[in-house]
This record gives sequence, C-alpha cells and structure tokens, in this order.
Amino acid sequence: MTNRDMDFNELNRRVSAARAETEARGETFYPGPSRVHLASFPPKERWNDWVELDSKAWPKRVEHRSMLVPTTCFNCESACGLLAYVDRDTLQVRKFEGNPEHPGSRGRNCAKGPATVTQITDPDRILHPLKRVGDRGEGKWAQVSWDEALDDIAGRIRRALEEKRHHEIMYHVGRPGEDGFTERVMAAWGVDGHNSHTNICSSGARAGFHFWMGMDRPSPDHANAKLMLLVSSHLEAGHYFNPHAQRIMEAKKNGAKLVVLDTRLSNTATHADHWLSPYPGSEAAIFLAIASWMIKERRHDRAFVRRWWNWQEYMEAVKGRTGASFEDFERVLEEEYREYTFEYAAAESGVDARTLREVAELVASAGTRLATHSWRSAAAGNLGGWQVARTLFLLNALTGSVATEGGTFPNSWNKFVPKPIRLPHQHPKHWNEMTWPREYPLVLMEMSFLLPHLMKERDGYLDVYFTRVYNPVWTNPDGFSWMEMLTDAKRIGLHVALTPTWNESAFFADYVLPMGHSSERHDLTSYEQYDGQWVGFRQPVLRAARERLGETISDTRQVNPGEVWEENEFWMDLTWRIDPDGSLGIREFFESRKHPGKKMTLDEYYGWIFDHSVPGLPDAAAAEGVTPLEFMRRYGAFEVAEKIGRVYEERVPDPELEDVHMDEAGRVFSRADNPASPNVVPLPPLEPDAEGRRRVGVQVEGEILRGFPTPSGKLEFWSRTLHDWGWPELATPTYVKSHIHRQNLDQDQMCLISTFRLPVQIHTRSANAKWLDEIAHTNPLWIHPADAARLGVARTGDLVRVQTEIGYFVVKSWITEGIRPGVVACSHHMGRWKPEGHEGQRLGMATVALDHQGSTWGLSRKKGVGPFESSDPDTMRVWWTDVGVHQNLTHAVHPDPISGAHCWHQAVRVLRAEPGDKYGDISVDIARSHAAYKKWLEFTRSADDHSPDGTRRPYWLLRPVRPERSAYRLPDRGTGGGD
Amino acid sequence: MPATDTLPATAPFKWAKVIDHTRCIGCHACTTACKSENDVPLSVTRTYVKYVDTGYFPQARRSFQVTRCNQCDAAPCVTACPTAAMHRRPDGIVDFDKSICIGCKACIAACPYDAIFINPNDHSAEKCNFCAHRLDIGLEPACSVVCPTQAILVGDMNDPLSAVSEIIHRDAVAVRRPEKETRPKLFYKGADQVTLDPLAARRPDGGIFMWSEQGDVSHQVPSGHPGRWNNSAAAVLAYDIPHRAPWDWRVSLYTFTKSVAAGAYLMPLLLAALGLLPWTTVEWGVRGPLVAMIGLMLTGGLLVWDLEHPERFWMVLLKPQWKSWLVRGGFIITAYGALLAAHLGLAFMGRADLTPSLAWVGGPLAVLSAVYTAYLFAQAKGRDLWQSPLLPAHLLVQAFMAGGAVLLILVQDPRLVGPVVGFSGMSVVLHLGLVAGEVTMAHPTAHATLAARNMVWGRYAPWFWAGVLLPAAALLVVASVPAAAGLLVLAGLFAYEHAYVQAGQSVPLA
Repeated sequence: MTNRDMDFNELNRRVSAARAETEARGETFYPGPSRVHLASFPPKERWNDWVELDSKAWPKRVEHRSMLVPTTCFNCESACGLLAYVDRDTLQVRKFEGNPEHPGSRGRNCAKGPATVTQITDPDRILHPLKRVGDRGEGKWAQVSWDEALDDIAGRIRRALEEKRHHEIMYHVGRPGEDGFTERVMAAWGVDGHNSHTNICSSGARAGFHFWMGMDRPSPDHANAKLMLLVSSHLEAGHYFNPHAQRIMEAKKNGAKLVVLDTRLSNTATHADHWLSPYPGSEAAIFLAIASWMIKERRHDRAFVRRWWNWQEYMEAVKGRTGASFEDFERVLEEEYREYTFEYAAAESGVDARTLREVAELVASAGTRLATHSWRSAAAGNLGGWQVARTLFLLNALTGSVATEGGTFPNSWNKFVPKPIRLPHQHPKHWNEMTWPREYPLVLMEMSFLLPHLMKERDGYLDVYFTRVYNPVWTNPDGFSWMEMLTDAKRIGLHVALTPTWNESAFFADYVLPMGHSSERHDLTSYEQYDGQWVGFRQPVLRAARERLGETISDTRQVNPGEVWEENEFWMDLTWRIDPDGSLGIREFFESRKHPGKKMTLDEYYGWIFDHSVPGLPDAAAAEGVTPLEFMRRYGAFEVAEKIGRVYEERVPDPELEDVHMDEAGRVFSRADNPASPNVVPLPPLEPDAEGRRRVGVQVEGEILRGFPTPSGKLEFWSRTLHDWGWPELATPTYVKSHIHRQNLDQDQMCLISTFRLPVQIHTRSANAKWLDEIAHTNPLWIHPADAARLGVARTGDLVRVQTEIGYFVVKSWITEGIRPGVVACSHHMGRWKPEGHEGQRLGMATVALDHQGSTWGLSRKKGVGPFESSDPDTMRVWWTDVGVHQNLTHAVHPDPISGAHCWHQAVRVLRAEPGDKYGDISVDIARSHAAYKKWLEFTRSADDHSPDGTRRPYWLLRPVRPERSAYRLPDRGTGGGD
Repeated sequence: MPATDTLPATAPFKWAKVIDHTRCIGCHACTTACKSENDVPLSVTRTYVKYVDTGYFPQARRSFQVTRCNQCDAAPCVTACPTAAMHRRPDGIVDFDKSICIGCKACIAACPYDAIFINPNDHSAEKCNFCAHRLDIGLEPACSVVCPTQAILVGDMNDPLSAVSEIIHRDAVAVRRPEKETRPKLFYKGADQVTLDPLAARRPDGGIFMWSEQGDVSHQVPSGHPGRWNNSAAAVLAYDIPHRAPWDWRVSLYTFTKSVAAGAYLMPLLLAALGLLPWTTVEWGVRGPLVAMIGLMLTGGLLVWDLEHPERFWMVLLKPQWKSWLVRGGFIITAYGALLAAHLGLAFMGRADLTPSLAWVGGPLAVLSAVYTAYLFAQAKGRDLWQSPLLPAHLLVQAFMAGGAVLLILVQDPRLVGPVVGFSGMSVVLHLGLVAGEVTMAHPTAHATLAARNMVWGRYAPWFWAGVLLPAAALLVVASVPAAAGLLVLAGLFAYEHAYVQAGQSVPLA
C-alpha cells in the first residue's frame, strides 16, 4: 500500500488509539517529548520482535523485523544507553537509538550515539590481531592468531612475575569506560601497574573536591537547582554531557538560572544568563570574591558551616585558638578573604565587578539549590587549577548546598559499583615509582604523562606495556618524547595496543589487538549524573541477540566482525595463560565457582554480580520471570536507588555502635564490623583509632552522624594533609596565580586554551565515524579581532605560527568575538595523522612525514583526507580535506605539584606564518621539553623532604589498585607504618 | 477570520513541528539520528544545525537553527514536481515517492529553504518527511526522540491540547521566509533573525567555519552573505553545510536551445506576416523550422540528460502533475515539435502552401515554448532573481533574437538581408534594454540584489558581460557581416542565459 491509497484520517485515528491499546494490553508506553499519542520507543514487551517500516522503500510499506538489544555507548564517558536494532533476517545491527530504560540518559543521546553504527561498519577498522614485523614504528605488520599473541604476552608476564619484576608490567588506560573489571585484573596479578590518563584530564578538579570531602568528583543535581554555576561546557561536552544537558535545560525551563565561566563562547555559554569569560586561571579569584562578599554580608548558611566545616580544627591548628567560638571563626574567615573584593576579581579576570556582584547575589539566593560543576576546564588548565574546584565547592559549602536537592553531591553517593565475584584480597606488594613518584606525594592519579621523562631519569624499563583507549602519542603533551620512548627497545620490551582502530600510538606497538566497539563488548558502568544510583550494562548485542534465538555463544569473537574480541574475555584468557596451573595464585580469581578448575565465563561473572550485588535487581528480574542476568541483557540498565540525599546527616544506626570511642575532634570509632555493602565504589580508608576501632562517624551537636570520609569526618575547609605534607599556605581554599597569569607572561605572549572539546567528537576515538567527521573536521585558532589586527592576521583562514616553549605548530586562524582578547584557543579534538606508508583511518587522519634530527622532531602534512574506494560507497563522498592540526605535540609537560594534573594552558607567541610555513607543520625540540619537565619538578615538595611520617603518600587519599600498606613506606626512611 | 479557518469539532489531522531554540544546544544529535534512521549518505543531509555567532566580546552569543524541510501547507516542491513524487498527504506531511521521481530537481529549485537534495545512492529527491514511516506506526520522529533537551516536538495542529498547538498558538514563534507564502508548518520558538535569514550572517573568510570547511563541491552555493551582513548586529556564520545549486549548464543551454527553437520559427513567421519575407522562401518553408526542430530536439535531449533518472522521462507525459510547468512545458514543446514536424512534412511533400495556415497554431506554440520557462523559473519560489514579471517578455525577445541570429546566418537572398538585419537589431536592442533594466533597477529583496550582483559583478560576470558585449558588438558589424553578427548574437545569448540561470541559483537559501 502506498500513500495514494491511504485514508490518513483513519490511519492517524488508528495510530492515536494505539496508545490506549498498548496501555490496555499492559505494555509500556514510552511518552515522547511531544506529549502526544506517539511513543518515543516501542514497548519493551515487544523488543524481541519489533516490526517497523523501511524508510528507504517508503512510501511502500515494507516491514523490517528487529530485535532491540540494549548496550552502552562508548563515545564519551557518559555511558548513555543505546538500543541496537538487530535485523532478524541479517542478524546485523541496522541502527542505534537510545535506551529508555537507562536512568541516566533516559533514551536520549548526543550526535555520537547514533554514529556508533558507522564505527562498527568502518571500512578501516582492524579486524585481526597484528604483530609487528619491521622495526617498531615502521608500519609493517603480519596477521597472527590470538593464540600466538596471547601465549607470547602471557609468557612474558609470567616470567616477569616469577622473577619479581612486577613493576615491569603496566596497563595504561585512557577513559576506562567501565567500573572495576581491569583494576581487579591488576589486583589479581598483584601488579601496581595501573596507569591512567586522569592527570591529563580531571585530576585537578578531583584534588579540589577530594581535599574538601574525601570524594573526588561533583555530582550536581541540576534538575532541581535554582542556580547552576558551571566551570564547564556541559551543554556540549564532557562528563556527563547528554545526561547533564538534559537536566540543565529542564531546570532552566523551571526557572533556574545558569552562570557559565568559559573564556571562549561555548554552546553552553550562549545559553547562560551570565556568561563570564574570565582571563584563564582567574576563576578561583572570582569564586573567592563571591565567597568573601557572602561571608561579609553573612549570607552564608551559618548553621551548615557550623555543623559541617572542620572550623574548630582550623582555629586550633592555624590560629592556635582552642575552644574558639563559631563567631570567632566567622570573623577570622571574613578577614582571611577580605582582600578578595569584586574589584580585585575583576582586575584579575577581566570580568566587570558589577556582573560579579550580580552573580554573587544569585549564588547567595540559591541557598541549598546551588548546583556547581567543574571537571576539566580551568582545573585542568592552570597551575593551581585544583583550587578552582576547591574554591567553587567553597560556594556549596557556604550555602549548605551539599548533597541537597538541587545542590551538589559527592560522586560516590550517586554511583554504584557492584562488588564482583572473587574480589582479589591481595594488594600489590611493591610501589611503582614510574607512576607514583615520590616528588608528587599528593596526586590523586598516576603521573602518567611524565612516563617518558621518568623512564629516562630513572632508567626505567617496561617489559609489557598495554595501552587501551589510550593514545599517549597523540593525546598527551609532548608526544614526540612518547615516540622516542616507544621506539626505544631499552625502555619498552613489548607494547600491546588494545584498540578497535588505528591510532598514533598503535603505530609504535608490537601487537595491535582488535577490541570491540561499544556494541561488541561487556562492561559495567555507573556514573553520577543525578541524585540516584544506577548500573549500566554494556554487552555485545549480536551475542545477546543470537542467544535469544537459542544459540549458545561462549566467546564474543563468535559474533564480532573478523577476529575482533573484547577486553573482558581477553584479560580472563590472558590471566589463565599467565597462571595455567594456579601456581602463581592468580588463576583462582578467574576460576569458575560452578565448575572448579574451569575458566569463569562472563555469564558467570556478570550473573553473580547481578544476583548478589545489585540490590533490587533480583526482585525486578523475578517479577518478569527472568534471571537478573537475562534482565540486564534485556534492558541494559537498572536504577538501584534515587534521592540519596544528605548521607552525612544520617545517624549511625545502633548496631554499628559497639564499644564506641569518641576522640577530641568528635570522630566516633566502633568495634562493630563494617556492614557488608554490595557497593564497592572507591572511598578513602579511614584511620582506625589507637585500639583498632573502625571509624563510623562523627559527632555533631550531640548526634553521631555519618559525616564525610575525610580525616576529620567533616568538610575540610582546612586540610591537615596539605598542611602537614608541605603546603600550609594552600591548605584552605585560595587563589593560586596560574603559570599563564599575565605577570608570568612576556609582553608578546598570549595564553593558549588547548583543551576545549567539540560536541560531535570524542578525543581520538571518533575519527572513524563518518557522520561526525563530516560535521567537524578542523580546529582553527580562535583569536579576537583586536589581537588579529595587532598581529597582522588579516583574515580568517590566514596561517599563523603558534610558538610554545618547546616548538611550534602552524594552523589556520578563526577570528571571532567569542574569545577574550589576549587569549587564543584551539580545540584539541583534531589533528589526527598517520605516517606515510602506514595503514590508518583514512576518514580522519592526514598523511604526514615524521622526521627527527638529534632532539628536534618534526611533522609535516603530506596529504589531507579525500574520497577513497572502500566497502562503503560513502567514502567516495568525503568532501572535506582538512583534519586539523595536532597541537599537543608542541606542549611541554606541566605537572601541578599537588594535584599532578597537567596544566594544559600554554604561554605562546602567535605570529603570522613565515614564508616557508605550511599548514600543519610542527617542530619540537624534546630536549627543551625535558628541560620543562625539570623546571616543573622544582615546584614540587617531595615526600623525601616533606613526608610527616616516612611514607610516600597520605594513606587516606584515594588511589587505584592500592598497594599493601608496607609499600607506602619510603624505602630509605625508617620503619614508619604509614600513619 | 473566515469560517473555514476555524477549528472544526473533528478536525482532520494536521501534523506540525516545533523546534524550540530556547532549548536547542546545537549538539547535532538530530543530524546523525536522521542519517541513521533514513540512511542518508555523506555530502547530503535532511537536517542539520546552522550556527551563527553574533555580537562583540563580551556581549556575544551563538544562535542555532535546526534547518530542514518546513512541511509547507502550500509546498512549492509539490507544485513543481512533474510526477507528484513530491506530494502533500492529507494530514499535512509533505512526503515523497522515490519510485516515480525522475530526478529533474524542479523540487530543489522550487524549495525556498534548500531542504531537498538528490540522494547519490538512488538518484532521487528526498528530504525530511517527518519520519512518516515512524509516525504511521505510532513513533515520534528519530530527531525528536534523540534530542537531549527535547527541543523538537511534533503534533496535530488541529488538536488544541497538543504541545505543538500550545506553543504555536500561545508562544512567539517564527517561520522561515514567510514572504514566500509557503505556509510552513515548522515553527521555531526562540529562533533568531540572524539564523532565519540566510543572508543575515557574514560568510567567514578563508573557506572555513568554526570547526569545518566551507567545502569546495560542484555547483556550490556559498553560504552566508559575502559582504558584511544583512543585519546591523555583527553576525558571522559559524557552521553551515555545503549547499548546491540544482541546475547546471545543461539547463542554461536548454534555455538557449529552446530560444533558438522558438525563434527560428517565430522570426521568419513575423517577417512573413509583415510581408517582409515571402511565404514561399526557403527560410520560412524549411530552414527556419528545421533549425527550430533541431533546437527543439537538443532541448529535449538536454532536459532528459539533466534528469537523474533519464529512463523515467516518459513519466512527465504519462504521469503528469498538471501544476508543474515542467509538465506543461513538456506538453507545449511536444505539441510544438509535432507542429514543426507537420510543417516540415508538408514542405517536403510539396504542400508548403499550407504552412501559413499552420502558423495560426504554430505561432502561439512557439511563443509558449519561448515563454513557459519564465513560469517554470517562477515556480522556483526562493530564487528571487527569476521572479521578474518581465521574464516572459524577455524570453520572447530572446527567442526573436535567437531567430534573428539564425536568419542572419542562413539568409542568402540579398533582398531579405535588410529586414532580417533590422529586426535582429531591434531584438538585440530590446534585449539589451531589458538587461539594462535588470541591472540598473533596484531589486526588491536582498536575495535578488545579491543574485544580480553575482551575475553582473561576481562569479558570473564574465558570462554576463559576454552576454551584453557580444550582441552589442553584433550591432556594429551586422550590416557588414551579418553571419558573423548572427554568431556573436548566439554566443552572447548563451552566455547571458548561463549567467542568468546560474546567478539565479547562486544565493544561499538556508
């Protein structure tokens, strides 16, 4: 039947009635945004066999039958739900939509969700395990079997473990996109080899939050806020873009105000009631001015501050005033921040004082409905950037908007990491100086981006080095130093790149092992996106689909394209081969409980978790007559709880109070066992009292409450940790003048913001997504017209040379009013490349020539992108030629001495391109980058000199794959146990 | 309000769409969800998000516009489509049927919003159709569902309780280019004039936008205003897609060959009717009509060649949608071709004496053949340059000019040269006069002004000036070397047609 034969009124009446019929049948009607009879998704009861009409054959009504199988997006960190439409005839994925059963993303997605389908059909993806045959980096590969690769890698790891060379094993992960699986593997191996990307990402902000509340990330309850104060661009990027954008807009529609601090005009800034474009690094001065005014005007929540700040500890330790009154403290506080006037902040930031005063009024009147957020942005840009987060949270702490409705939660209370089966009990016995060097005792995450320098300084060697969702050559600053390290057999014995696609670091690997995209792998996720806790399940959708059809799939390679695998099964198999007989004590963690002696299957692993560790899930599954695992395979996500509220105000229940001891600071300790919790979300270990009692809470105004997992049990306005480890001047929220503060720049230097994201790309993961590349494919340098005129850059598109401290890059200019004069910005989401003669992603990588002479390295662009023949006719329609410029190569490492975060902002000279300059030219002297490393090393206060207790690091600070306590001891410093 | 416009108790369904730009965050999710749902290839798109940056630091903003088919109640694409492949469903959805699309691109030319494109996979026209295949089974369109901020709503305009009705009737909404009288059923809430008006924002230099290239594709229509901006606020286009003009040189050439086809018959007819050319001359009897016939066959050939589905050209005549001037024109030139065949047949059978009587039909058909293109172009509602009331007359003049030029080349009898030169000269002078009017008169819209500027001083200036100067030169030499003058006139005419046809399409619509 076609349009010509239809009675449309009849049709529409029938469709309208369908809603009532759906509901009458007891099926789920998913209301859409339009609030009409149309559903946004098919009823979940019909996901097994859904009939839809073919859009291509339209208006002929050709039917397609699909199975709708949920999974989790991997095109950023938000872990939004996806529903794969698996064609019942071809058993291939036709498209991805959102998953309405996902509590975080609620069925909606950004551009990157639907684009997943282009990644799984990417003609350039890697389909088979590859082994290097030429020199490292030469681009010659041979296809090998998985068995060969696994045996080789496992053999090396086993030898290393047997020879007690644990520190020569390293797993280096970018955004993990999962909770706990791989850390469990490292723990099982007993290897302190976990390395992350986090110090080039969120460590700055994490430190700021962690020193306040013992938890390291914010979870703003945007939807219920009265004021949202963002140091971020969460309407277009970042953690957690789509879930947060939904809720920010929801709140705006309910009358909430939005204040955005972003030096460049972002899509988020354009929606703000107040867009503040501060000079980079001055954000903390703005927050302190707001705080100062609130304190002076007594607009803060005095009851909250009195109850929950560790003000007594501060008054005693810093002011030497035992028994000081709260009013005394308020007077001290007022005095401490007196200098931070609006005028001072205006002078520092360039934002006028009147606007700051207006924003302050909004903050003060938001009360407990102040939702703030900072993830990377300024906290990742500046020396002392962690104080941006610390001073931002000061506003929550002043308004009492901590874990309140519409306020800001600590992430750990809005996150649920279910405890896995056979959780390894052991901790690594050694300490890895390559990831946790003693010069940086307070960092929250590994000093990953310093690896080439640390290896060089300490003559390091890694026998097996895994990279996964991690592309250090491209993503990290100073990528040429990484190339040098990765090509040096004296430093890296075997580099195994686990990746679905080619990347700049995989070019320098020994094995390239293809791993699945989001719909081709298992993972568990749970992220703090609103005041609730949920667990999301990523799964290979074709495996789930074929199992529904009665097939038994025991290995994800059976359903993935080519020989593409997934990490979960890879790690299990690899571990089994490392310890085939169990003699190393590792195998047991991957051994089936149901079938002793056999390798655990993923069904057993996840089945156990869903049976035992996700409260409410077994009941929900039973109500549908399925197992919890089947439930998760069917719906993909489960909300464990919502409206968590103010955990710190909860009274500690009596059963937990046994032989209680309360110390002078009001901390309460108990002999009662810690009630078993299925949620193993990382929390700091709290010191027991001298008799070994466990800390259960803190006494506040006569009540024993949960408090915060900080040393004091309170919100730490003053951090004894920072004070005792050598940073007394930074122990309270304060303003650190950034390395790119104007007083640190020469007259002809400007600040380069190099970190901003684009809404449709995701780091180095999305260059294989044709629809995304079509939308965004270059990264010109944003420059204000006044600066452009001053520098003689006449027109947008003119080439400029951007000189950093170690080299330069040549890029096009984008002359715009959307950037503060004196500041330039260049998105980091571009500039992918492949060396001449290498395979790579033809959609999104320029072909380049690499060369180096001595310590000077260069990269020059030989060819952009263009149409090419492939299995996909669309690749002949690539109409764009540019893929942008890889600026990070020209950045030196800038580790913040406290947070360890790389301080991304660059002091640069922007010049008109010189006559010989070509677009995309890059030149770097890595001797200068090593000198920059040494210069920044001088800012540190090493544990050797400042550890108050002979340990490498405060034990209570969060740390992935925490080693045994004895490993915390500095080797050449006494016998302290680490207190 | 007339009674018919009030809402009947059981009003029929009328689908409408609201895009709420107070919510849109410019994330492009709708773009890729649509590509996925409808399998839309690279290089074309059914929907995308345009960005415009406005203001001076620090008072600057970015405006978004989700840009797509407007589901017009008076849809120009439907009117222009020769086969009803583009059609409006009774429930208001402007839908399409690729199985009967001939790929003439008349719908693309007609759409004032540049919302239609030829899919390179199947060579048929497509656009946003509301995801009709989803609506009809009770699902919201893919873009509505994916949108993180729920900025895209659909609903029944005739249902007063629907969210879209509420917004359309209670909020300040806008539509794109209401002056085109298309009555869009896509309503923008919170839209910004700098995005609604395709010329409000300045095109950035350097061939780039904020994070993409402006593109360098065939028949590209560069986005934004090439000068400053059509707005006193500083507005710069920050993101757009490459747009393309539908009709290439083949259509320019078609207008030329059609002028020749009409004129080669009309000019001898005019001279003969005035007694300046005996009915018995070979110019009237054979040569003129033969050239006309050749011109007409070339015209038809070019028309078919320009189709994306040439094998379906017959649908114009056998599945006609009568409002389409492509259909009407098709029948006119078919009839004219038949008339010319009859004329030539009679001439070859030695019954040339009957041809003057045939001219009572042939004359009007030739005139219609010459001028119908003006109506065809006028159906391209967004192309303001072509919306000229003088265009029919001008095309007729051009036909005479072409006919005159043909005669200048063909005529050998010295007695006939004088009148031919005279009338050719007059047609050239008339043509130049009309062109002078086109150039010197102010244009009623920014679009037409820019199109005229592109024609006279911009990208098409070489063609335009050839179109003016070659015929002018012909006037100087026509008395001495008439055949050379004829060639100059023909060359000039083609150059002018090309400039006019291409410049008419050179202004961005989205």
